[in-house]
Amino acid sequence: MGGDEFLITFALSKGRILDDTRPLLRAAGVDVTEDPESSRKLILATERADVRVVLVRASDVPTYVQYGGADIGISGKDTLMETDTTGLYEPLDLKIATCRLMVAVPDDTDYEALVQRGRRLRVATKYIDTARAHFAKKGVHVDLIKLYGSMELAPLVGLADAIVDVVSSGATLKANKLKAVEKIADISARLIVNQAALKTKREALMPIIESFAKSVSK
Amino acid sequence: MRKWVLPDFVEDVLPPTAARMERTRRALLDTFAASGYELVNPPLVEHLDALLTGTGKDLEHNTFKLIDPISGKLLGVRPDITPQVARIDATYFPDDTARRFCYAGEVLRTHAALGGSRALMQVGAELFGEASVSGDVEIVKLMIESARAVNASPLLLDCGHVGVFKALADHFELSSKATAAVDAALAAKSASALDDIKSLSVEARSVFATLTGLFGPAKTVLQRARASLPRNADVTAALDQLDAVSAAIVDSGAQCSLDLADLPGLDYHTGLVFVAYLQNTSPTTSAGSHYNASVVARGGRYDGVGESFMQSGKGRAATGFSFVDLRALTEVTSQ
Repeated sequence: MGGDEFLITFALSKGRILDDTRPLLRAAGVDVTEDPESSRKLILATERADVRVVLVRASDVPTYVQYGGADIGISGKDTLMETDTTGLYEPLDLKIATCRLMVAVPDDTDYEALVQRGRRLRVATKYIDTARAHFAKKGVHVDLIKLYGSMELAPLVGLADAIVDVVSSGATLKANKLKAVEKIADISARLIVNQAALKTKREALMPIIESFAKSVSK
Repeated sequence: MRKWVLPDFVEDVLPPTAARMERTRRALLDTFAASGYELVNPPLVEHLDALLTGTGKDLEHNTFKLIDPISGKLLGVRPDITPQVARIDATYFPDDTARRFCYAGEVLRTHAALGGSRALMQVGAELFGEASVSGDVEIVKLMIESARAVNASPLLLDCGHVGVFKALADHFELSSKATAAVDAALAAKSASALDDIKSLSVEARSVFATLTGLFGPAKTVLQRARASLPRNADVTAALDQLDAVSAAIVDSGAQCSLDLADLPGLDYHTGLVFVAYLQNTSPTTSAGSHYNASVVARGGRYDGVGESFMQSGKGRAATGFSFVDLRALTEVTSQ
């Protein structure tokens, strides 16, 4: 840990969010100086000496920023909806990495009939809290089954009646004979900022946030 | 489970930290006493209803509850001391003179704040019966002076005023549902969350979006607020108070910033609200400490909270602050 008190730590996740964010980082003058895909380092230097990037799992980005392990980060709205966002500001919708959070069922399922039959619906998802809130609002009783990936498989092997997952092109659903039947939310990547950091490192953080805002509104 | 394992998020305080905490506690109480604040010692438990009044309204889910074997009534272990001091002021001293109290004691929460503990030692001061801005100024100055007495500097005081938002909510005639949704959007500084609130007029949406950006150095924020917020007597009065308070903060040798979208405890705060940060102890540089040490104190105005206890139903003007975690304060000030 360097002694530089104005050091800003930026939390990002590899993959789509990082790819879509790099043009914004470049515009703000804080692009990473080595290739994140080939590097095995978890901390990357940027074009600015006082700014560094840490690479963490997508679902861990809010946690790093909440606890001050990072000052600023980019996280999908799907992850944020599933997190207690105490200690975070969410000042910008970056309008990148967009998709929708959907309920999906097998092609031959009559979803309307399914939710009205009065039995508990088995729903497989990694978005437990969001799914619970969605079905509670509809007045549908559900048993939630927590999965960490490949949700599409669950209805095919009889593990669940429906799934809740993010859908972008719909190709994975189609390939597995599933259909999206209900939208829960539009999802996009959001800029998140640690509350204490925005107060105590305002001068260092604002130019980056403002540059991102400018890039987004273009 | 081994007997010596403590529950989650509680801890022993060992030498030398325990002795340092005690010295810090004394230094704070001595500073309060020198300014005429008298010590009170409310009990660790009391009837739950009494604890959940005023500034305690948000704390129901954070309160440990137990049944009193003597009366069969529901008791709460205090999650905060301020409501107890407000009860003491309202029940023992029911006249109109200004009164000053201070306290130091342990509080218990069912959930720890980020990086914190569930059992916290809190030290604070409350001023009752002083409705004018001079009360806010007195409290802010006392906070800075007592922080200085325990070497907690340099301080940054980030101030807001719930009166600005309340006046705007009235101005645009927001329903209680819309008010809660706008409050949540402002708390996240998210202009895009405002777009999702369909009941807002175009003008209201744009004013609240402006509010999400009204934070930073006091002078510029006040200038921008006066230029961009709708002309309204209550908004102007709130901004004038912030002007006076920020001048007093700078005068006392601390830094001052404003944030007009930070509205902690909207249902009980009635005016100035503030959070004191210790500069240069931001989480990144305090590596090795698991405390989120940046926030050292919180405070604000909560007029009228004593009214649940008063026969006449007349609430008292009230303002105060507390050092939210004496252990964390001790650790950062002895580095």
